[in-house]
Amino acid sequence: MWKKLLVIILLFYLLALLQNSFFAHFNLFGTAPNLVFIFFFLLVFFEKKENNYQVILFAIIAGAFLDIFSYTYIGPSIVLLVIIGILLKNVQSLLKNREDNRPFIYFLPLFIIFLLAYNLLLDLYLYFLDPNKIAVIISTKIIFSLIYNSFIASVSFYLYKKISSFYRK
Amino acid sequence: MNGVQKFSINKRNKGWLKILIGTAVLLFLLAVLNFFVSPIKNYFYTISAPIQKTFWSAGVSSSNSLISFLYGESLVKENENLKTENQKLLAQLASLQSIEHGNQALSDLSVSCQNDEFKFVMAGVIGLDDEDILSINKGSVDGISEGMPVMNQQKVLFGKIFKVYKNFSKIMLISNKNSVINVKIQQDLPAQAGDTTKPEIDGVVKGSGGLNAYLDLIPINSDINSGDVLVTSAIEKSFPKDLLVAKITQKEKNDQKPFQQAQINLFFDVKAVDNLFVITNYKNEKSQ
Repeated sequence: MWKKLLVIILLFYLLALLQNSFFAHFNLFGTAPNLVFIFFFLLVFFEKKENNYQVILFAIIAGAFLDIFSYTYIGPSIVLLVIIGILLKNVQSLLKNREDNRPFIYFLPLFIIFLLAYNLLLDLYLYFLDPNKIAVIISTKIIFSLIYNSFIASVSFYLYKKISSFYRK
Repeated sequence: MNGVQKFSINKRNKGWLKILIGTAVLLFLLAVLNFFVSPIKNYFYTISAPIQKTFWSAGVSSSNSLISFLYGESLVKENENLKTENQKLLAQLASLQSIEHGNQALSDLSVSCQNDEFKFVMAGVIGLDDEDILSINKGSVDGISEGMPVMNQQKVLFGKIFKVYKNFSKIMLISNKNSVINVKIQQDLPAQAGDTTKPEIDGVVKGSGGLNAYLDLIPINSDINSGDVLVTSAIEKSFPKDLLVAKITQKEKNDQKPFQQAQINLFFDVKAVDNLFVITNYKNEKSQ
C-alpha cells in the first residue's frame, strides 16, 4: 500500500511538472492538457467502490500539486477533486453493470462532465473568491480544453488498461 | 421494530457526522496550510526548478521540431518574408540615424525623465499556466518585487511581476485577460523629410487570454494600418516607454462605434523564450 502510494505521489509530481513546463509548449488555443486531472480521474475510475478513503487521498495529493503550481491559494483544487472523486464513485455504482465493469463508453462522457464541472467551478472560484482578482471569464477556451483533454484521456484510458492488465498477470 | 428504526437512523446520522467532521478537518487543515503558502510553494519551486528548467528547454526544442515538421514549406516562405522585412528595416534605420543626431537633444530630455539606466535581473523561464502566467526562477532574494516590468533582450515587453516568492516569481503576461496597457502606434510609413507634424496615436492593448491580445480605444478618425508597430507609451507609468509590444495585423473600423479596434500580433514568443530580464529599478508610480 505504502509503495503504491509513494509511486502515485511521485507520478502526480512528475505530471504536474510536465504539465507546467513541457506541455506548456503544446497548448492549443490557450489550453494545455491537465495531466494531473486525467491521471486522478483514471485512478478513481478504476478504483474499487469500497476504497472511498483512497479516493479522498488521491484527491488530496492531486489537488495539492495542482494548487501548488498555480498562482492561487492551496485548497480549491483539493476540495473540488474530493467532491469529484466521491461523486464519480457514486455515479459509477448507479450505472448498469456490464461484463467489462469499466467500459470506455462510461469513461468518456463521465470524464467530459467532470472536467467541465471542475473547470467551471475553479473559474468561478478564481473570479469571485481569489484575492488576486485575475479575471477569468468563462469562455470558449473551455470547449478547446474539453476536446484536447478528452483526446489525451482516451489514449491514457487504453494505456492504463494495458499497463494494469500487464501487472495483474 | 422501533429499536431497528432507531438503529438505522443513528447509522445514517453517523455517516453524515463522519462527512461533516471530515469536511471540517479538511477545511481547517487547508486554512492552516495557507498561513504557510509562500514557504510551501517556494520550497516546491526550489526543488523542482532544475527539472522544470530541463522540461521547459525540452519543450522549446520539441515544439520547434514539430512546427518545422508540420509547417516546413510555410516556414521557408516566412523566412523569405522576414529577410525582406529585415532589409527594409535596415534601410529605415539608415535614414533614421541621420535624423537621430538632430533629435538627440530632445530625446535626451525625455529620456532623462524616464529612461534612467535600468538595472536588470536575468531570470530563467520554468513554467507557464493556462491563465497566461509565466514562472521564473528568481525571487525576492534577487531584488525582485511586484509590479516590475519584464522584457527580453530585444526590448520586447512580456508583462509585469505579479507575485513574488523567495526564490521564484510569477509574471502576468500582457496577454492575460486582466492586463491593460497604454501604447502608442508607430506608423509603418516611409519616412518623409521634415514630417514632424504627424500626431501621435495612442491606444490600449487588452489581453484576451490564450497568449493573444487586441488593440482598442483608437480614435475613429485616426489612420492606422496593418504593419504599424505598437510600443509602450509615456502615459503608461507601469512600464518604461518604447518597449516593443505588437504589430497590427487587421484593423476593425465601425463608424457606429466611437473607437476603432484592431487585431494584433504580439511580439513576444513565450514558447521560444528561455531567459527574461526584470527591470528592478524602474520607478513604478502606481505602487507608490
